[in-house]
Amino acid sequence: MTTASAPDVISRSRVAEHATALLQVAKLAKRYGEQRALTDISLAVRAGEVLGLIGPNGAGKTTLMEAIAGLVPLDSGEVLWRGAPLPLMRRRELMFYLPDGLRPWEEQYVAHVVGFFADVYGKPESVATTIRTLGLAGVLHKRVNALSKGYARRLMLALALITPQQLLLMDEPFDGFDLRQTREIMGVLRQVAANGRTLVLAVHQLGDAERVCDRFVLLADGRVRGQGTLDELRAQAGKRAAGLEDVFLALT
Amino acid sequence: MRSPDTIAVARARFAPLLAKELRELMSGRALWTMLLILCPLIGASFFQAASLYGEASAAAKDSPELASGLSPLDGVLVPTFGALYLAVTLLFPFVAIRALGREKETGALRLSVQLPYRPATLVVAKMTAIGIAWLIAVIPALSAIAVWAALGGHVYAPETLNLLLGQLLYGLLVGSIALFAAAVSEGAATAAIVTLAFTIGSWVLDFALVGQSGLLEWVSRLSLTPALRTFEQGLFSAALLIGIVAAIAGFAALATFWLHPGVPLRSKLLRSVICIAAVAAMLAGVTQIRASLDATEDLRNSFPAADQRALAELREPLSITVHLAPEDPRYVDLKRNVLSKLERVMPHVTVRLAAGQSFVGSSSDEAYGEIEYSYAGRIAKTRSTSHREALPLLYQLSGRTPPAPIAGADYLGHPLVSNAQPALLWFFGALPLLIVAAWWWTRRPPRISAKLIEEGGRP
Repeated sequence: MTTASAPDVISRSRVAEHATALLQVAKLAKRYGEQRALTDISLAVRAGEVLGLIGPNGAGKTTLMEAIAGLVPLDSGEVLWRGAPLPLMRRRELMFYLPDGLRPWEEQYVAHVVGFFADVYGKPESVATTIRTLGLAGVLHKRVNALSKGYARRLMLALALITPQQLLLMDEPFDGFDLRQTREIMGVLRQVAANGRTLVLAVHQLGDAERVCDRFVLLADGRVRGQGTLDELRAQAGKRAAGLEDVFLALT
Repeated sequence: MRSPDTIAVARARFAPLLAKELRELMSGRALWTMLLILCPLIGASFFQAASLYGEASAAAKDSPELASGLSPLDGVLVPTFGALYLAVTLLFPFVAIRALGREKETGALRLSVQLPYRPATLVVAKMTAIGIAWLIAVIPALSAIAVWAALGGHVYAPETLNLLLGQLLYGLLVGSIALFAAAVSEGAATAAIVTLAFTIGSWVLDFALVGQSGLLEWVSRLSLTPALRTFEQGLFSAALLIGIVAAIAGFAALATFWLHPGVPLRSKLLRSVICIAAVAAMLAGVTQIRASLDATEDLRNSFPAADQRALAELREPLSITVHLAPEDPRYVDLKRNVLSKLERVMPHVTVRLAAGQSFVGSSSDEAYGEIEYSYAGRIAKTRSTSHREALPLLYQLSGRTPPAPIAGADYLGHPLVSNAQPALLWFFGALPLLIVAAWWWTRRPPRISAKLIEEGGRP
C-alpha cells in the first residue's frame, strides 16, 4: 500500500473540483497592447457557491469577468461549462454579467427599464418582488440619470435578479452603499445563492468579501495568487488565524 | 447538445425590445429637434413651390401647350420633399446614431448583447425603430401634400407614392449607414463624422464627377443622391429598389458584425470583407435587371403610347454608338430623351460612347456629334438628340411604318393658381405646437399602480 504525497492530494482534489465545476476558466490570457491584463488565469466555479474575485484596483477583476461573459475577446485560453467548451454566442444563455458603475438607458424611467427586463425574460410577476426586495418603489417614476449612485446600483441589482441565468457575475456589487445598505444587499445575494444561483463577485473591499463569499480567488497584476476557502488560503499563506486582508497581503 | 441550464434565446419576444428602442429614440432630443426644424423648412419650400407653380399656372391660363408642362410632381412635391431630403441627409444621422451610440457611450450595450437576442435581432429592432423615426419625421412633408390637396391641387397617387418610397429608401439607407458608423465608432461624435462623410461625400461626388467617364464615372455611381433622383423623376426601377435594399441590408449586416464587443477584430474584418463582396456582387448583378415602371401621370419616362407599343415589338438587338463626350449637354439630353426610354422599352439595347473618352477640345473631329443606330444589319446616323428624329430612323431601319398617335392620350397638365399663405400658419405655428405637445406627452412619467408601490416599499 502506498501513501499519496501532498502534491498528489492537491492534484486529485483539483481533478475532482473540475469534474464538479459549473464553470471553468483555463489558461486565460488577455493583453491590451503591451500591457498584460490577464496572464494564465485558471479557476473553477462550483454550482450554488458565492465566489469572490479579490484584488486591488487594476488587478484584472473586471477584465476577467468581461472575458468570462464574452464581452472582450481573449488572446488565449478557454471557458468551459460543465466541462464542455462554451462558445461566445452561447454565454448569454448561461450567465449574466453586471458591469460596475453602469446607468443603462439613462433617459428612460426606472419602471420602464425594470419592466423591459421582466418582459424580455417573460417574468412580469417578478417585478413587484424585485422592487420590494431592493426598495425601488420610490424611484420608479424617476429617470435613470436622476438616480443617486446607491439607487442606480439597486436598479442594476434588480435587473440581475430578474435574469434567469444560472450564473451571475457582478462587478463591485457593494460599491456606492453605506454599511447598513451593504449588509442588506449581502443578505439579498446570500438569498439568491440559497435559491440555487451561482454568484461570482468582484470585490475590492476585503471585509465585504469575507462576509459574503464562500470561496475566493486572489488576483494581483492579472495573475491568480491563490484560490480556495478562507481556511485553505490561510493554510497556503501559513497564517492560521489571519483574516482575508492579512492572507491577501501574504499571498500577493 | 444544449446544457439543461440554458435559457431559450428563441423564446424572447421581439415586442419589448422594439418598445425599448422606440423609448430610447423618443426620450432623446434629436428626433424632436429634427421635427421642429423640418416644419419651417418644409413650410418655406412648400410655400415657395406653390407660389411659383401658381405664377406659372397664371401664365399658362390661355395656353394649353404651357399648361401641359405643369406637373405637381415637379412643381410642388419634389421641391417640398427636397427639404426632407436635406434634413434626412444632415440631421437624420444624429437620430439614427442615437439608436446605438448612446448604448455604446453609457455601456448599456454590454447589457443589450447579453439579452436573449441574437445580434442580428438587436440590429433589426434598431433598424425598425429608425424606420419608425423616419415615418414620424415625414409627417410635416405628408401634411404639405394634404395642404396642397386642400388648396385644390392635384395629387396623382402612383407618382406621389413612388416619391415617398424613394424618400423612405433613402432615409433607411442613411439610417443603416449611421447604425454601421455607430457600431464601428467608440463615440457618437465619431459616428456622426463617419455618416456625414458618406452623405456629404455623396454631394461632393455628384458635383465633382458629373459627366465623367471611365473609373470616375463608376466612382460617381457610389453617390447616394442619384438613387433618390430616379424616384423624383417618377421612375420606379426594380434594379434600383433591389440595389438600395441590398445596400441597406449590407450596412445593417456590417453593424451586426461589429456590434458585439467580444468578437475578435480579425473575425469582424473577415465577415465584413465577405459581406462587402456579397453586396458588391449583388449590386453588379442587379444592373442586368431592366424592369421598371413609369409612375408619372405625364409618362415623361416613356415615348408616346403608340411608339411604346410599336418599339416593344422590335425584338432584334439595337446598337447605338454615340460620338459625344459624356459631359456634353447634348449627351445628357440624348440620354434623357432617347437612350433611357429605349432601354426601358426595347429588350436588347447596347449603348456605346465612341472611344469612351472625352471629346472636349477635339471639335475638329467630323464624326463628333453623330449618333449611329444599328438595327437588323442596317445603320442610320443623326445628330439630333430628340426622339422625334430618332424614332422615325428606327422605324425606317426595322422596315415598319411609324404608328399613328393615339387620340386623347396627351397629358393636359394641372395648373393651379392658389394662395398658399395661410399654409404658413400651419407650418410655422400649429404644427410646431403639436410637435412640442407630443414631445411633452412622450416625456410624461409612467403610471405606477398604487399596489406596486405599496408592495414594493423599502425592505
